[in-house]
Amino acid sequence: MWLLPVLGLIIGVLIGSALTFQVPVTYVKYMSIAVLASLDSVFGGIRAIMEDLFDGTVLLTGFFTNALLAALLAYLGDRLGVDLYYAAVFAFGVRLFQNLAGIRHKLLLNYRNKKYHSRGEQP
Amino acid sequence: MTRQRWSVPMTVVFILIGILLSLQFQAQNRFASDLSMQRTENLIAMVRDLSEKRQKLAIELIDLNSKLRAQAESDRDEKKLVESLKEELTKMKMVNGTIELRGPGLQILIEKHLPILYIDIIHIVNELWAAGAEAISVNDCRITSSTAIFYTEDSHSMSITVDNIKLEYPIIIRAIGEPNNLEKGLTIPGGIMDNLALFNAYPLLTKVDEQTIPAVHELPHFYFASEYKPLEKPAASNTQPAARP
Repeated sequence: MWLLPVLGLIIGVLIGSALTFQVPVTYVKYMSIAVLASLDSVFGGIRAIMEDLFDGTVLLTGFFTNALLAALLAYLGDRLGVDLYYAAVFAFGVRLFQNLAGIRHKLLLNYRNKKYHSRGEQP
Repeated sequence: MTRQRWSVPMTVVFILIGILLSLQFQAQNRFASDLSMQRTENLIAMVRDLSEKRQKLAIELIDLNSKLRAQAESDRDEKKLVESLKEELTKMKMVNGTIELRGPGLQILIEKHLPILYIDIIHIVNELWAAGAEAISVNDCRITSSTAIFYTEDSHSMSITVDNIKLEYPIIIRAIGEPNNLEKGLTIPGGIMDNLALFNAYPLLTKVDEQTIPAVHELPHFYFASEYKPLEKPAASNTQPAARP
């Protein structure tokens, strides 16, 4: 069930380490924000799957736009002298933890449901 | 088949996040090792470390330089030694007459008709040595420590020999030294020239600025003589010699 995505992750990491493309040191900060946004999107997607609300289009668009916007905003903030970087970190961080919490809740519920079913009880 | 619906986009996203993560990981590593991103304390520590290292290296450099200098000096000393040995050798050769010499000095010309005996030649040579001659030759024979001046007779004549070689007339005695001193040594009143004048023998003296004196024809062989090395006394032992009764 989760085999394909996990394989995808491994392949991605391998591709990334095989790439000789190097991010310029100046953009590392914005890149990190983009990665955070993407991670948030991924966890959001997992949560959506758990809650049966998954939409592939939303996930993909969200993935790219979130990452790009986060990076752009951080960059713009640097140009304007406003530390939007931290705002982005905060926002995405909070959302990431919310998503993780949601995933945990769903996992627990599923587990309990399974237990009840195995005992032959109705929730 | 809800799974089929979500697994493809999810996989794509996971591939992308994998790429992003590994890229970011590498970039962050480089970023963290970049000097401009280091914490001040770390930088201070680095600077301290590096300056310590540099000091150590500088000390080592001084050390090595002094070693180099010492080496060069010993090299120069060796060269000096070789140089002085060569000088010594040349001096020895000059003394032993194994090399040709040149320099200012005196020439004594003895014509055939002069009543000169071998003993007179010996006297002249001795007188020249006494007057500070550094090298002497009679005709082409270099006078060394083992030169023998004598005479030989045959049926109708007598001739002077140097090392058993008959001297041809005119006999030319050459001496290297201070020309004036050499001349004075011979012409001193009551000296050898006066003596010879009593017998009407007047050798002709000429001071010269430059003349060559030949080397000996053959080196002396030493069949019996060898260097004498006195036996080294055994080091005094610190044990007291037993008292003799």
